[in-house]
Amino acid sequence: MSATTLSVRNLTKTIKKHKVIKGISFELKEGEVFGFLGPNGAGKTTTIRMLVGLIRPTSGTIEICGYDVKKNFTKAMANLGCIVENPELYPYLSGTDNLLHFARMLPSVDAKRIAEVVDMVKLTERIDDKVKTYSLGMRQRLGIAQALLNRPKVLILDEPTNGLDPAGIRQMRVFIRELAEKEGLSVLVSSHLLSEIQLLCDRVAIITKGNIITVDTVESLLSSQEQAIWQLDPSVKGREILESLTEVTTLDDGYMVTPYDSTQIPKWNAALVHAGVQVLQLNRKIPVLEDLFLQLTDTGGAHIE
Amino acid sequence: MNNLILNEMMKLVARKRLLVIGAIVGILVILFTFAQYKEVQTQREKLGSDDWRASLQQQIIDMQNRLGSSRISDDWREQIQVSVQQLQFYLDQDINPSEPGAVTFVRMFIENSSDLFIPLLIMIVASDLVSSEHTLGSVKLLLTRPVKRWRILLSKYITLLMATSLIVAMTGLLSYGLSGIVFGYHGWNAPIITGFLVDGGDVDTSSIRLISQWKFVLMDFGLVWFVAVVVGTLAFMLSVLIRSTAASMGVMLAALISGAILNNMVSSWESAKYLFMVNLKLTNYLNGVAPPITGMTLFSSMSVLLVWWAAALVLSFFVFTRQDVY
Amino acid sequence: MLGKKSVRYITIIAATLSILWLLSFGWAIQDYYATGATDDVVKKQDSSQKTVKKNHMFTVVALGDSLTRGTGDDSGKGYVGYVADELKERFNGNVVVQNLGINGQISSQLKKQVKQPNIQRQLADADIILLTIGANDLFQQGRTLENFDLATIKTIEDAFVENLTTIFTDIRKANPDASIFFVGLYNPFIEVDETGVTSPTVRDWNRTAEEVSSTIPRIVFVPTYDIFQLSVNDYLFTDKFHPNQQGYRLIADRIAPLIKWEGERK
Repeated sequence: MSATTLSVRNLTKTIKKHKVIKGISFELKEGEVFGFLGPNGAGKTTTIRMLVGLIRPTSGTIEICGYDVKKNFTKAMANLGCIVENPELYPYLSGTDNLLHFARMLPSVDAKRIAEVVDMVKLTERIDDKVKTYSLGMRQRLGIAQALLNRPKVLILDEPTNGLDPAGIRQMRVFIRELAEKEGLSVLVSSHLLSEIQLLCDRVAIITKGNIITVDTVESLLSSQEQAIWQLDPSVKGREILESLTEVTTLDDGYMVTPYDSTQIPKWNAALVHAGVQVLQLNRKIPVLEDLFLQLTDTGGAHIE
Repeated sequence: MNNLILNEMMKLVARKRLLVIGAIVGILVILFTFAQYKEVQTQREKLGSDDWRASLQQQIIDMQNRLGSSRISDDWREQIQVSVQQLQFYLDQDINPSEPGAVTFVRMFIENSSDLFIPLLIMIVASDLVSSEHTLGSVKLLLTRPVKRWRILLSKYITLLMATSLIVAMTGLLSYGLSGIVFGYHGWNAPIITGFLVDGGDVDTSSIRLISQWKFVLMDFGLVWFVAVVVGTLAFMLSVLIRSTAASMGVMLAALISGAILNNMVSSWESAKYLFMVNLKLTNYLNGVAPPITGMTLFSSMSVLLVWWAAALVLSFFVFTRQDVY
Repeated sequence: MLGKKSVRYITIIAATLSILWLLSFGWAIQDYYATGATDDVVKKQDSSQKTVKKNHMFTVVALGDSLTRGTGDDSGKGYVGYVADELKERFNGNVVVQNLGINGQISSQLKKQVKQPNIQRQLADADIILLTIGANDLFQQGRTLENFDLATIKTIEDAFVENLTTIFTDIRKANPDASIFFVGLYNPFIEVDETGVTSPTVRDWNRTAEEVSSTIPRIVFVPTYDIFQLSVNDYLFTDKFHPNQQGYRLIADRIAPLIKWEGERK
């Protein structure tokens, strides 16, 4: 098992007597991409800002590569690269000057390293132009370049694909995976889009209303929630047979829903056919985030895009 | 630390703030030079000679006549009395208090701009030194580097001090360079009388000394710089406390302008002397101009300014190192 | 790359300037509170030796009180202004007026003023000198009238004569050639004074003043008593003390024709 690079324990934050973060704990391992999934307002950004030292936690500890963010701020930050929300660089400076600016704030970053990160994010051609002339995607890449300057062990990206076009999103995804796999970085990515997390992350934490509801690998999380939808004729007899085999809920329009289990589905199907029930439709339904939330939270009120 | 200061200077230079300020100063100097030139001309026409003694005499007579009017307030009367005595002293010593030339212009310009104009220029830089990082969002990148927050703020503050020095120097150079075209680049060694002690409406001339104008100008600049630093620090504090640049500028502007107004009417409100705004005209003490409130001295004004300065600095650092950044 | 070097230079310059200003500031404080730094003490200079080079203008120097100042005239010119206007017309505009009149001035104050070196210099430069003095001595803003007492007036008059003599002597010393036009008093109270004591007093005062004038060459005593004698209210300002525009004009009309200059073109 690889080393833990970021560990968060019992993190809470109270703003004006209102408990915004209610005790969050998780860990990041070397070389893994960790998703932070939750609706807007769930506390993703507040948590991330605590991780990078912008907000002081009310209680709990954050350690980056073993250094406490509160007690050993500079050492912790030396191992961290981050973009919080949009990469807000100085528009009136050129790309190089922006990188120079942040390089000067780091202990040992030379011109060679600057050239290296520029090359990594493929900005070499435009690097001497003023940032205000950059497209959003280029800014995002420059933001990542500055986050990589200090060869961080942990990279925190808050909504990295926000505002990018589909091609940009794809490039970003490939790039992040590369960083994790080739450079061994731990990457924490927050998003409110399940599809993004699904394609990018190894593990995911689902956060809503200041709580982490579940932390799991993407596959198990999704598969546990997969459903099979049946349309049977005659439906009454069909339901009796299915009910004898598994849990069934009947929808208003006569469709029946059972859990999806690839080993069992053929057997159920055979049983139905054997009893003379016609299977008109059998669909495997991959859950959307909304359903996931509704199922994971009792309240079910969270709004997901 | 050096690197951090270089960063801040780079941003300052890149935003061309100093150039804008230079342009503002340049335009104002040109206007003032023209006004001064016109005044000299009308004076000459009126008196039929360019003898400064005649015009100084006329100035004294005019003031004496104003003293005769029953409608002027007591403070105003005292101030005029002081001026009359000083001008008479210059006349008796046969020293021109406003020797024509660029150096005299610089002295007048810097003295008159010390309580409003220069602070205003400093404000342009100071007000958004911190708040602009908030507006831009770059503060999130700045504060997530492995550098302690107080060092970041200190580098910004040192940059402010350096910008203040540059602006003060720029004002001096521009006013010398531009006014010299009209008035000639002389007057460095013109004698200036200093050491007038003002007590109510009376001038004590016992400790009076003559010094060269260049020395006097240098001292003026030192005092103006100090005032600029204090005002800059206050604007800097507001920039930390209020994240909107416009709002912090507004607050500072209101304070400065109210100071200019208060100066003319606070004489009976004695505790007003603890406000920083009425203590900005330090150069007046060198010139022996009566302070707006009796009992104010160079030392008291400086102490008041120092207290405000220290408080602003402490508060800035306290808030900046502790605040949550959203 | 944004001139990395230039930023560095600007920073170095700025740092140097900061030190310079800080030192200047310290110096200013030190200098202000330094006591006993006596090597530069101002020495009284004899400025009377420095005379202004004579210009080619006809120079009028006016001395005295509010009448010279022109108080009561809506246009602010006063008799000095009207005299100057007329001279300007005659002398082709080559006229310079230096009005040194001060409101409320009395003879003892004028005596001091005339002794000032710079006033003496200006007097030396004058072609003619206009003078009004005494009204404030005599009337004391109306108080004389309220408590009329011959003995008091005698004391005032004696002092006045002494002052006036000194004033004339000093003016002559400064300028031996210029004509002096000394404007006499009128009686502003001629119509309100029921006891009739003021008129003789003013007349007596004028007589004394004229006598003093006659002791020194080239002094012209300009009477004004008669101008205001018959219809004083037509020529007085609303304060019932100073002349109004018309009153000043009449005084000026007396003086202007008497003034001659070799530069005058017919």
